[in-house]
Amino acid sequence: MDNRKSILAIIFIFAFFMTGLLIYPQSGWTKEKQPSGKVIIFNAGSLTIPFAKMEKVFEARYPNVDIIQESAGSRKCARKITGLKKPCDIMASADYTVIDQLLIPTYADWNIRFATNRLVLCYTNTSNYAKEINAQNWYEILLKKDVVWGHADHNIDPCGYRSVMVLQLAEKYYKKPGLFKKLIANRPQENIRPKSVELISLLQTGNMDYAWEYRSVAVQHELKFVELPDRINLGNYKHDTFYKKAVVKVTGKKPGTFLNKKGKSCTYGITLLKNAPKTQAATAFLQYMLDAQGGLKILKDMGQPPFIPCRVPTAEMKARLPKALRDLVEVRE
Amino acid sequence: MKREPFFWITVSCGIVIMAFILLPLIQMMSAPSAGMLKETIQDKDVVRSIWLSIYTAGLAALISFVLGTPLAYLLARSAFKGKRLVESIIDLPIAIPHPVVGIAILSVAGKNHWIGQILSELGIRIMGSVTGIVTVLTFVGIPFYLNAAKAGFEGISPRLEKVSRSLGASMSSTFFRITFPLAWRSMLIGIIMCCARAISEFGAVVIVAYHPMIAPVMIYERFEAYGLKYSQPVAVWLVSISLLLFLILRILTLENRKET
Repeated sequence: MDNRKSILAIIFIFAFFMTGLLIYPQSGWTKEKQPSGKVIIFNAGSLTIPFAKMEKVFEARYPNVDIIQESAGSRKCARKITGLKKPCDIMASADYTVIDQLLIPTYADWNIRFATNRLVLCYTNTSNYAKEINAQNWYEILLKKDVVWGHADHNIDPCGYRSVMVLQLAEKYYKKPGLFKKLIANRPQENIRPKSVELISLLQTGNMDYAWEYRSVAVQHELKFVELPDRINLGNYKHDTFYKKAVVKVTGKKPGTFLNKKGKSCTYGITLLKNAPKTQAATAFLQYMLDAQGGLKILKDMGQPPFIPCRVPTAEMKARLPKALRDLVEVRE
Repeated sequence: MKREPFFWITVSCGIVIMAFILLPLIQMMSAPSAGMLKETIQDKDVVRSIWLSIYTAGLAALISFVLGTPLAYLLARSAFKGKRLVESIIDLPIAIPHPVVGIAILSVAGKNHWIGQILSELGIRIMGSVTGIVTVLTFVGIPFYLNAAKAGFEGISPRLEKVSRSLGASMSSTFFRITFPLAWRSMLIGIIMCCARAISEFGAVVIVAYHPMIAPVMIYERFEAYGLKYSQPVAVWLVSISLLLFLILRILTLENRKET
């Protein structure tokens, strides 16, 4: 008799725990409103470092959320969504027009401009004429025979053709006909590197005096840099009509073919996808990211000037934002 | 005769390794069409880069031969304090990650270093120059020459040299008339190994010199700019040349074995 009782007791306790386990995930015992799950972010390569830092801070705040970053070129990110139909919650692009052109209206409803970047001329203490260079005379110094300067390969790295665009715009801005040709003539082909980041080691080892980089890269690598006027640094989308005057020929789909790249500002855009698997957690991340004290501060510290507050082009688009994000953006052309 | 299981183990391991090496290579070699291959080899830039690869690798091997032979001989013939250390230093370039080699060479070649300052006074540039490429290739290739040549010298009995010396020949004439004729095959193998290693180098070179482009750098550039389709044919041509090198190496060692 006793034996049977204890067996019953064991079965009862076992059943109790099993039901407990089964109910647990959906039950009110956990904090119901706490966002959780895996949030997948497709982001532009240049955002990798600041986003990694945001991920850390955010995950410390929301331990149930796991942020997964996949970085690639901005267009490639969009193609993964439209072409490969890969699941994704948030897409952050180094060129906000990619979201406008490829994702809206089918895959996303809105597009928030949240940061900019711009081209700067980097150097170190040991660069020739390091003491003299400034925003007025930089092109004269780049024309000197004893100055070694370079940029990324314009066929491989967008930073490469953007650097060439800055030189083209400089000729128009400073009204010095022939300046672009003269500058390129003083930049032997050997001074080109496949990716802009590789130029940094050349600067730091004293093999090169000046190199063109994104401002964020310069800040993240603690380089000295010359800031150029907004009209030529490709950093302000209000000058897009002027930037368009810069045209660089880059290689096309096969050797011997070419296509033209037109100048455009480096303006970053972000969106939440309509069919995001984890809308709630992704919105929470965006809420943190677009906050002046949160993600935007990290961007700023890492040299990528954010828009504070972030911008959407129309009031109508603002109305389409998730409620939690509406207060973080302003309507501005 | 009945084969032992051990024999079959050796054979099956051999087959796995052969497949492991050959399958990816065959896949790559057979991917581009004949037309693509023809078009590629007619591309002046491709020919120039392959030629530059061969030429710089050859120069690296020549430098290794001239500078390395005496050291290899010294290491084979004499015992001295710190010999082990010298030998491990020689092997260092094999163990260091390739981009690190490039960065290391650039860091002494820049004007932040006194060597770089002297070089610049002399008008010698390492970054983005053929000189730079040869420097890198020698750095990565020289251990292969030294080790092969050393093994060759060690295989020759010092007695032969002693006889020559006792008959009145000087040290240098002993080397050229006795040691060299006996060891030249190992030295040649060393040169070929060094050459093959140099031809395949990418990581260190791309840091020191992107332009002028050697073939492996061009393969990378084509891959980045146009994709696999246009980088493969260049790779096929380069691999064919490397295969040729190794074929010569095998033939040479085969002859060697017959003689002994």
